[in-house]
Amino acid sequence: MTGDVALRCPACGAPVLVDDNFCEACGTAVLAPAKRVAARRVEVDLAVAAAVSEQGRSHSRNEDAFHIERVGAEGVVVVVCDGISSSSSGDAAARAAAAAAAAVLVAAVGNGGDLAAATGAAVLAARAAVQHVPATRRAALALPSCTLVSAAWRDGMLVVGWVGDSRAYWLGADEARQLTVDDSWAAEQVAEGRLSAEEAFADRRAHAITRWVGADSVDAPQVTTLAPSQAGRLVLCTDGLWNTAPAPGELVALVAGLDANATPASVAHHLADAAMAAGSRDDVTVAVIDIEGGEGAQP
Amino acid sequence: MTRFTADVYQNEFLALGATDVDAVVTVTATDATPVAVAAPTAAAEIVIVDASGSMVSPFGKLKAAKQATAAAIDAIRDGVAFGVISGTEEARAVFPLDGTLAPASDHTRARAKAAVANILPSGGTAIGTWLTLAHRLFEGTPAGLRHAVLLTDGQNQHETVEELEQALAECQGHFQCDCRGVGTDWEVAELRRIASTLLGSVDIIARPEDMVADFQATIERAMARGTPDVALRLWTPQGAKLGFVKQVAPAIQDLTDRAVPVDALSADFPTGAWGNESRDYHVNVRVAAREVGDEVLAGRLSLVVDGRLVTQALIRAVWTDEPGLSTRISREVAHYTGQAELAEVIQEGLEARRAGDERAATFKLGRAVQLATAGGNDGTLKLLRRVVEIDDPQSGTVRLSGTVDEVDEMSLDTRSTKTVRVHDTGP
Repeated sequence: MTGDVALRCPACGAPVLVDDNFCEACGTAVLAPAKRVAARRVEVDLAVAAAVSEQGRSHSRNEDAFHIERVGAEGVVVVVCDGISSSSSGDAAARAAAAAAAAVLVAAVGNGGDLAAATGAAVLAARAAVQHVPATRRAALALPSCTLVSAAWRDGMLVVGWVGDSRAYWLGADEARQLTVDDSWAAEQVAEGRLSAEEAFADRRAHAITRWVGADSVDAPQVTTLAPSQAGRLVLCTDGLWNTAPAPGELVALVAGLDANATPASVAHHLADAAMAAGSRDDVTVAVIDIEGGEGAQP
Repeated sequence: MTRFTADVYQNEFLALGATDVDAVVTVTATDATPVAVAAPTAAAEIVIVDASGSMVSPFGKLKAAKQATAAAIDAIRDGVAFGVISGTEEARAVFPLDGTLAPASDHTRARAKAAVANILPSGGTAIGTWLTLAHRLFEGTPAGLRHAVLLTDGQNQHETVEELEQALAECQGHFQCDCRGVGTDWEVAELRRIASTLLGSVDIIARPEDMVADFQATIERAMARGTPDVALRLWTPQGAKLGFVKQVAPAIQDLTDRAVPVDALSADFPTGAWGNESRDYHVNVRVAAREVGDEVLAGRLSLVVDGRLVTQALIRAVWTDEPGLSTRISREVAHYTGQAELAEVIQEGLEARRAGDERAATFKLGRAVQLATAGGNDGTLKLLRRVVEIDDPQSGTVRLSGTVDEVDEMSLDTRSTKTVRVHDTGP
């Protein structure tokens, strides 16, 4: 019986085992991203939108989860969640939250409901679902909880909601910006004028999140709405990606090398590859939606 | 209304002092209107898909499994209650999310397929927990026809054998489950045990691209069944001892241990749901020997449908001192005795091969080739050829092949219980 050989050494062609970094025959370092595409990455490609998620090297299980779904001819719903590692069953919490929130948003996009209101209802549904996740694993830890960022797109209107530090970025032809403001220690220090962004992010408490989806956190997400006038891409991601490239400009630079007509799936894979190449050890989840520009609408 | 008929094939003549009575009973169901058509709410379907971390590799397996699951969902008829479970070391209802089953419609099927597309594999495999959740979901519906299809790629490593057995004991009789293994990392004996306890079939899906067709066919077959709950009832006379009750076609399945006593002399053997189909059973009863010329009823096989007895077949025994009568073996009984031995020697031969016992493997698989040739098991013979080099099929002279594809070995093992019917094999 042969072992699980996922790829061959680029230098000498010898088979390389999935969990090894180096060729057993010649010692050549094997490119990490290519290796993991085979072993640990999952993609869902819906043409106008796509998501990829890859389990981090330092994690025994993928604690990120996502749900993307097309609704009717034009509508798209994307939810990305990151299970909180210090909580028990963070992975189950993330999966439950993503599925429950998506169900609410899909219904609203489908029946013409108010998307901002639905975004609030989606977080309530996610919270209820997370509360049902049994805290079985490592019971001494915090209650099951996760972050959540959602996007609902219909008729030229994009509604983004979030709790925690998973982010949404708008990458337009002329401008790129971060749509979300992290619910984190660093972001709050900056917002309250106590520290500069540089100082805040240098602190070891920088990434401690201040709000989350779980039994012991607030109910309402932050919500922002935009009506893009120009075509662009919406990127939703967990901190596995943005830790390696936090500024909107950095994400733009990362995808600058791609064809302007690159599919959402190839953009998502490209960003995940970049995060891995930059040494991310966390789970990385990236969802990308292609947005057509509206007529006369203002961003 | 489904009509059942039962035909008995046996040589009722026993030599003086003989006690073993063998008979093959062919049970045929006709005029079945599928439950899923006649009354969709009377049917429920759950698709259980393995979402353990191993599904990610090799790339493409997961995608194929998701496509197959989507195809299965599409095959569920309007109005049938359905749900999808994703399984790791715990089970999760991915659709619907509220712990119920949803009536199938274009809308719910689309939602379910979207949920399946978003399944992220992670973690291990504990099949007992998947079955337990399916059982709980089925219990919430009034549906009488309850069917699940289970897809896995790995061994049941994240629970003990006792945990799985306990889950099976709780699920048995409550729903039927067809099991499918994809790839070669799963355990044939394990899935066979699950499928046979839950009155379902087991098969290997060797190539991921074959999953769609298989899943679709499995669901359509389940949906086509017209009678949800059928049992064989076997009466045997006082003092008789039941040797065995085996389904022998379309596949071998020993039902003996499933006996549910009805009274001192009768027991029921559940057979699950029936469509328009025909199945053969081999019954062996040991009775007390009588005098020459005596005749006894050695068994009465009837069918229990909705608590009513619908048809019956009589198994007789007549003692004779004419060797010409008693030494004749019923063609049907002989055929299925060979088919049962064929399944047995294939499984034992492969086991010996894995254990490195070449002598035993060569002997057993040689016998398998001989039986398959005699029985007209062309499909099995084709699979055997991938494991052994055949020098002489009639005498069963074979050599073990040097290298054997694991898929071929598992296909042979999985399909060893498939039989050919006696009435299809010759004039």
